[in-house]
Order: sequence, then structure tokens, then C-alpha cells
Amino acid sequence: MSKILEVNDLSYKKNNKTILANINLSVDNGKIIGLLGENGVGKTTLMRLIAGVNSIREGVITVNGATKKSEIKQYVSLSDQLAGFNKSTRISEIVRFYENVYPDFSVKKYQEIAEYLGLDKTKRLSSLSTGTLGKLVIALTISRETKLYLLDEPLSGIDSMSRKKIISSIIRWKSDESTIIISDHYVTEIASLLDDVVIMKDKTIYEVDSVESIQEKHHLGIEEYYEQIYEGSVTK
Amino acid sequence: MEYIDNIPIYLQIKDILYRKIISNEYELGSQLPSVRQLAVQFSANSNTVQKALKEMTEENVIISQRGKGNYVTEDGKIINKLKKNLVNEMFDATYEKLRSLHMNDEEITTSFNNYVQEKEHAHE
Repeated sequence: MSKILEVNDLSYKKNNKTILANINLSVDNGKIIGLLGENGVGKTTLMRLIAGVNSIREGVITVNGATKKSEIKQYVSLSDQLAGFNKSTRISEIVRFYENVYPDFSVKKYQEIAEYLGLDKTKRLSSLSTGTLGKLVIALTISRETKLYLLDEPLSGIDSMSRKKIISSIIRWKSDESTIIISDHYVTEIASLLDDVVIMKDKTIYEVDSVESIQEKHHLGIEEYYEQIYEGSVTK
Repeated sequence: MEYIDNIPIYLQIKDILYRKIISNEYELGSQLPSVRQLAVQFSANSNTVQKALKEMTEENVIISQRGKGNYVTEDGKIINKLKKNLVNEMFDATYEKLRSLHMNDEEITTSFNNYVQEKEHAHE
């Protein structure tokens, strides 16, 4: 399998405070990866660095063979909470914005997903429930036809029915050759979706393993395994 | 889909598909849904579904036809064997429990027959 993403010796500081230390990660093409770790461990920062939103000073990130930030951007679709839009913006206007900004944004794909998720394009951002906003974010993010999708806590704070719909839209519309990294701190529900998990702890990557091997080797569910790592009762 | 946390998901999917084949929901020689359809149905990754199907192919329960999809075998003997294994698996736990009550095989057989008869009466 070829690698879609390689991170080598990445460290990141903000105001002289270490956010990420010594990150090394290698991700195969075509997989769905869970990026797990408690709040504040650096999941969002890592995703923003991979997507080329923030600049790296230490280390190398390679996406689909590219290392230049401007080039990487075209291979990565990072979920955006749409906080930059005015609350009175209509969904249709946001879709038009995506269409203009991203040449790989497929309106056709968006329309299919929006229909499946029941998104009404005339609605304004201010009128959306947390669940509907979550659906919109996913629909926009996965409607770009690209290589690597980074979904930053797509299920956080979302009701159970909407979570199910979001998970199922990811399965339905993921092309075989694309790769998805989903961050979350609640794991059980997405376990069936994941090939591998990347567990972050203490500002770095603590472990990478397949879901299957955790179940087979440790006879534990992912949630349990992850909790034990945080309690320090599992050693590698 | 509700999965058991600590058992590989592909095994659980395989188990569900085997039950559907044994119960004739998927008939002999019929075509299975596509990998994508199964993935959506099982809320699972398509790699995981592929892995379940691969094992089923290796166990000759399904036949994979390149470019056409996956079909249930037409060989009834294979399915009968699957069914026997599943039934045995279900009996295993009960049998062990009854044995732990120091019941002998004859007593177990008699009580099972009585049980079935009572069930039949209850249905009438």
C-alpha cells in the first residue's frame, strides 16, 4: 500500500509553549483512521498542520508526495466549523463559497449528500441545530474530490440520530482510494468505521495499531483500551 | 449496528452473514449485496466488509466472481455443515450448564424432548 501521509519529527510550539513534540506518523492510502486523545492533547493542531493551515518550523509533513504547503492544500480537505461565516449566511451561499474556493468541490456530490442528510439550502446558519450544523460541515468537507479528509471531532456534541447519519454518509461517499482521519474522544460508536487508531498522549503519538489487533491481542474494545492507556495500566 | 466491543468486527459481520445464509434469507446461488451496500448496512468500513467476505470465500461459502460480485454457493452440503456448526455452538453452552447440574446425557435428552413438546403445546 502506498502512503498518503508521512509526518517526520514534527514538533510545534505556540508562544514558546510546546503543543506537539516529536510526532512521527505514516498513513496508508485508502484507510479510515481514528485519531484519539483527550481534549487539549493536540489533535486539532496536528490536523491543521497536516492540512497546511498552520506553518511548521520543525519537522516534515508529506501528503501524497508533496511537502510544499501550497501543494499539500489541494490534497487535503479539513473540516471547518464555519465560524468564519456570518450567522445570517444561508447554506446555499456557503455552498457557493466552497464551489468558488475549491476547484475540486463537487456540487453534484454535495447535493446527493445534502439530500441524504436532509439539509435545506435556504436555511441560515443561525437557525441550525448542533446536529444539522454537524451534518453540513461533513457534507461540505467530503464533497471535495480529494485524497485526504481530516474530520475534526465530527460527532462531538451531536445527538445520536444525527451521529448515525453522519457515520453512514461517510461510509456511503468515501471513495476506495481516499483516506480519512477522524478525531474523537468518544470511540465506541466509530470503532466499526476504523481500520486503525492513532492514540495521542502527552503531546505526542503514543501508539498506532489496527482496531482488529487491539481486539485480538488485548481482547479489549477500543474505548477500554484507550481508557487503560490514559490510566497508565496498558504498556506497549 | 450494535457490535461487541472486544471481538473483531469482521468476525461479527461474517457471523451475521452466515446466519442470514443459514436461515435462507440469502438463498443458495443468490447474489449478495455489494461491498458498499453491506458496509452501509453494517455501519462498517468497506475494508472490514471485504475481510469478512474474503474469509467466507476461503471457507467456500461464497463464490467471488470477478467484476460481478459475490454469490452464495450452490452446494447445499456446505451450508448444512455451517448450520450444524452453528447449532452445536448454541448447544455447547447449554449442554455444559446442564452437565454442571450433574445431569447425565439421558436426563438431558429427556428434558429437552419434554421442553420441545411443551413449546409445541404452547403454540397450539
